[in-house]
Amino acid sequence: MSTLTLLYDPECGLCRRVQGWLAEQPKLLELKMIPIKTDAARRRYPQLNHELTAEDLTVISDQGAVYFGPKAWLMVLWSLSRYHEWSYRLASPELLPTTRRVVSLVSQHRYQISHAVGLSR
Amino acid sequence: MTIEIATYLLYLAISIALTVWVAHTLHKSGRIFLVDVFHGNEPLADSVNHLLVVGFYLINLGYVSLALKLGYNIATAKEGIEALSVKVGTVLLVLGGMHFFNLFIFSRMRRRANMRNAPPPVYPDAFTPVQEV
Repeated sequence: MSTLTLLYDPECGLCRRVQGWLAEQPKLLELKMIPIKTDAARRRYPQLNHELTAEDLTVISDQGAVYFGPKAWLMVLWSLSRYHEWSYRLASPELLPTTRRVVSLVSQHRYQISHAVGLSR
Repeated sequence: MTIEIATYLLYLAISIALTVWVAHTLHKSGRIFLVDVFHGNEPLADSVNHLLVVGFYLINLGYVSLALKLGYNIATAKEGIEALSVKVGTVLLVLGGMHFFNLFIFSRMRRRANMRNAPPPVYPDAFTPVQEV
């Protein structure tokens, strides 16, 4: 695995902010960002359910492995040299349920959060 | 030579010999660990190994030197041996502590290095064909 593709929501301020932060992080893998439900995304992944990608972050490896939601976030952490170890810690059986809850909560309320912290569109 | 001087000299001789022995062991056996940690990069492993051993020597000889002073007078050979035994015993414990600390550092470095090649933390949810454009 050498590249991860992130399908991100360009409509949400928080996601854009995170994307900017990701761009500056030292990486172990290459990260590609494609906005969701665009022609580029549909061309690259013709058989993917693109409606689903609007609900939570989707990460796809260069071999076509799809990670959705909390797993996608763990994969993003895994690709960053500084948080590589944390991805294993957060994916451990003890912490995974909490990780899932927190990530789902943030994802579902991303527009409200963006708005609340002044990152709205 | 008084018994006190003899005790001091024996203390120094035993402590320094022990330090050299432990450092040598660390140097010899730690190398294999470090070569593995640095993925076969032997010059780098040797360099880190050397630096670790230098630190080990500095801390231990520093402790041996600081702990030299006895603080009371010795009259008989029996007292001399008892004082020597306490001093050498402390040096041995410090050496043991330092040695395990070094082992801990080695194993942590190794675990971190192995983690770089480990598979991802989670399994994929699905697979999808990728159309490279």
